[in-house]
Amino acid sequence: MSAALRVFAAEGLKQHRRIFGSKLVVFSMLLWPVLTLATTYYTVLPVTSAPGAAQRWPLVAEPGRLLAFLAAGALAYTFFFSLVQSAWHFSFERVSGTLEAMFLTPASRMALVLANGSSALVQNAWLFGCFGIAAALATGSLHLAHPGMLAVAALALLVPAVAWGAFLNSLLMFSRDSAFLYTLLDDPLWFVAGVRLPLFALPVWVKAIGLAFPLTTSLTVLRGALLDGRDTGELAGHLAFLAGLSAVLLGLTAVLLRVGERHAQRTGSLQLF
Amino acid sequence: MATAMPTLRRNWLVTMRAYQWTYFVGTLATGILTVGLAYLAYHSIGGGRAGGGFAAAAGTADYLGYVTVGAAASMFTVRMVLWVAKAQITEQREGTLESQVLAPARRLPYLVGVGLQSLTTTVVEVVVMLAFAVMIGVRLPAPDPVTLLAAFVAASVAVFGISVPLSAIMITAGEAHITQNTLFVAMGLLCGFTFPPAYLPDPLRWLGEALPVTSALRALRAATLDHAPLSAAAPDLLLCLALGLAYLIVGLRLLGPAERVAIQRGGSA
Amino acid sequence: MIVTRELRKTYPAKRTLFRRSGGTETRAVDGLSLSIPPGAVTGLLGLNGAGKTTTIKIIATLLHPTTGTITVDGLDVVRDARAVRRRINLIAGGERMVYARLTGRENLWYFGQLYDVPRATLRARIDELLELVGLPDAADTLVERYSRGMRQRLSIARGLINQPAYLLLDEPTLGLDAPIARDLRAVVARLAQEGVGVLLTSHYLAEVEELCGHVYVIDRGRLVAEGSPTALTAGTRLPHTVELTLAEAAPAVSVAVGALGAEVETGLDAEGRPTYVLRSPDDLAGELATAVVRAGGAIVRLEVNPPTLEDAILAMAAPAPVS
Repeated sequence: MSAALRVFAAEGLKQHRRIFGSKLVVFSMLLWPVLTLATTYYTVLPVTSAPGAAQRWPLVAEPGRLLAFLAAGALAYTFFFSLVQSAWHFSFERVSGTLEAMFLTPASRMALVLANGSSALVQNAWLFGCFGIAAALATGSLHLAHPGMLAVAALALLVPAVAWGAFLNSLLMFSRDSAFLYTLLDDPLWFVAGVRLPLFALPVWVKAIGLAFPLTTSLTVLRGALLDGRDTGELAGHLAFLAGLSAVLLGLTAVLLRVGERHAQRTGSLQLF
Repeated sequence: MATAMPTLRRNWLVTMRAYQWTYFVGTLATGILTVGLAYLAYHSIGGGRAGGGFAAAAGTADYLGYVTVGAAASMFTVRMVLWVAKAQITEQREGTLESQVLAPARRLPYLVGVGLQSLTTTVVEVVVMLAFAVMIGVRLPAPDPVTLLAAFVAASVAVFGISVPLSAIMITAGEAHITQNTLFVAMGLLCGFTFPPAYLPDPLRWLGEALPVTSALRALRAATLDHAPLSAAAPDLLLCLALGLAYLIVGLRLLGPAERVAIQRGGSA
Repeated sequence: MIVTRELRKTYPAKRTLFRRSGGTETRAVDGLSLSIPPGAVTGLLGLNGAGKTTTIKIIATLLHPTTGTITVDGLDVVRDARAVRRRINLIAGGERMVYARLTGRENLWYFGQLYDVPRATLRARIDELLELVGLPDAADTLVERYSRGMRQRLSIARGLINQPAYLLLDEPTLGLDAPIARDLRAVVARLAQEGVGVLLTSHYLAEVEELCGHVYVIDRGRLVAEGSPTALTAGTRLPHTVELTLAEAAPAVSVAVGALGAEVETGLDAEGRPTYVLRSPDDLAGELATAVVRAGGAIVRLEVNPPTLEDAILAMAAPAPVS
């Protein structure tokens, strides 16, 4: 256990140097999401202010709530996408030779990918997270059943995000064309996860795809807990699904790490697909 | 043309040999999903109608047509900027910038060569996106061909114009990722790709007007959605051309010093 | 002791996602049995593609053998991989395996954490290693500002961070400046004296000759010879070359030289003095000098060149001539 914790400390330093050393974080984690949020808001404004729109989606009756809905989407998307970015960077370690140096060590591979994902999350997302909380408090758009729901929302965002990050790390670590996966998980991710539209507006098949991504359910819980005043009882189904999905992702991560390293040991190539 | 044509040919060969599918799929996905988002929102939330003074602000009641033209223009802009503005920093990264600066050729024809080549691939890519829009039921009324052609030329000049100073910034900073994405995200908000800029607070609207893409978009929409004659689109076309050329001239002035900074940094590294 | 028994490694044919692309299997290592004792430097030599890197990577747990066994102090490298990883480390030539965005010290701390080096000693160990590879002044500089040689030296320090009982060195001095390569050789010799078992591959055969007590020579994955560098060289019966220059021509000398039974080449040097070059499996220098003096010749220059390990390796790796 202590060895695993030391892996977390090590990856924490590495991610801190990689992310914090550059100004990129201010742009990718604050400026771009905020500008994109504004663009999304104005883009859907004509339809949300169409006659009769409030009957189909009551939330649009108040522009503040619409903005909060979209902001929650932007927040969760920023968290999850930061892990796609971090996994993309992780895949470069294969090329630079440091992945081999990592595999030489006795450190647990699972601890490595988990540590890498969670440190990326902490390093990347604190800025937008703080901004989001400040904005929510300033605009009074938080609507909580009880203060404990803040913790539930935070856990429902962070735990699946870390599982997602570990899964992506193991996936991209062994993939030939990580740039392609990166592209695939950028725009399609917000589309299927209901980041910019309520889920009811999506066709069934898109919703079905969206369920495979933890962002979708994470976001449902986040919006329910922070904006709609729901309590754990009302969100129990979503929370259970989210826990199950996180467990599945971690299971897949373990399998990928095992199969990937075995493949590398057999063929001498760290590219599995 | 002595520089433009060989550059065009070189980039054509490179494109054909190693087409960057990842970039294409990325920008295509953005375009398709933007139209898709508008389509779904329009039908399941708007009930097939747009409100909030959209018609007055946009100059058309056709929300889906408006967003589709904007998404196509956005894709065009992003792809062209990626090609033209990143041409020199790519040379810098591959170590060929110095040999390019050493050659007596001037910058403008070189960049025109890059631009003309990218125009061919970009047009094909935009057509793929428009085909998708038509497939899901977006209808673009028969455009005015003369106005459309003029708007297309003006938009090309506009995008080419802003790419040149951007190239200077990129090679000076030795960085493309932050520069390009900040521009894309800012243009997304300011230029009216997916919503009328009239929605924006005044200072932001003026900022948008300073970018030639904003007037290019108005001219493109006038040609495609309004069937506007050339005379009606003329003010926007002229504004767009003037702004595009202004950016181009400023950019060309900046390139010389930028190249010196880039090579100096390359030498000290 | 590291012991490999009948080690074989076959790389499967390259496959695309959906089908085999028609390639054939490659056999990189073919029945290799080696022993790497603690407290000594063991050499592994061969031409390119001889299977040296594959062998080292198998011992380092990065590759699995197709058949055969490897044990490190009795631990099986496949079954007990984690325990083996604690006892070994690998240093490969080139400047890879360190992070550019971290400083030298941070790199070592990072890997120290991954190796679970006791907290109490890690800091001191890092300082010691930075001193050892000559980087104490650059310890807190980002590695991206390091020169190639500095990165490589840091990479060597990384390989020592877990105080490995066995150190695998794959071309460690590749591209290093001569003085630094010399320092590294001194470090390796000292580590061996302190009880570390070292396996060394290198293109610089002089390096192997200097450091290794025992050398394995492999060709196309098979063991072709083993022994001390001196024994290996002697075993090839390669000629010693003796070059002789006389003050002036003397017919009696020519007869005496011819009588030694070696292959002789005669000529004149730049100043017109007669020269003799003798090639023989034995060192004839002493006999030659005696014979020349007895025949009344005056020796201006006498140079003896025994065969080097490099000559021996080249001779062993070359296909046997068809007679």
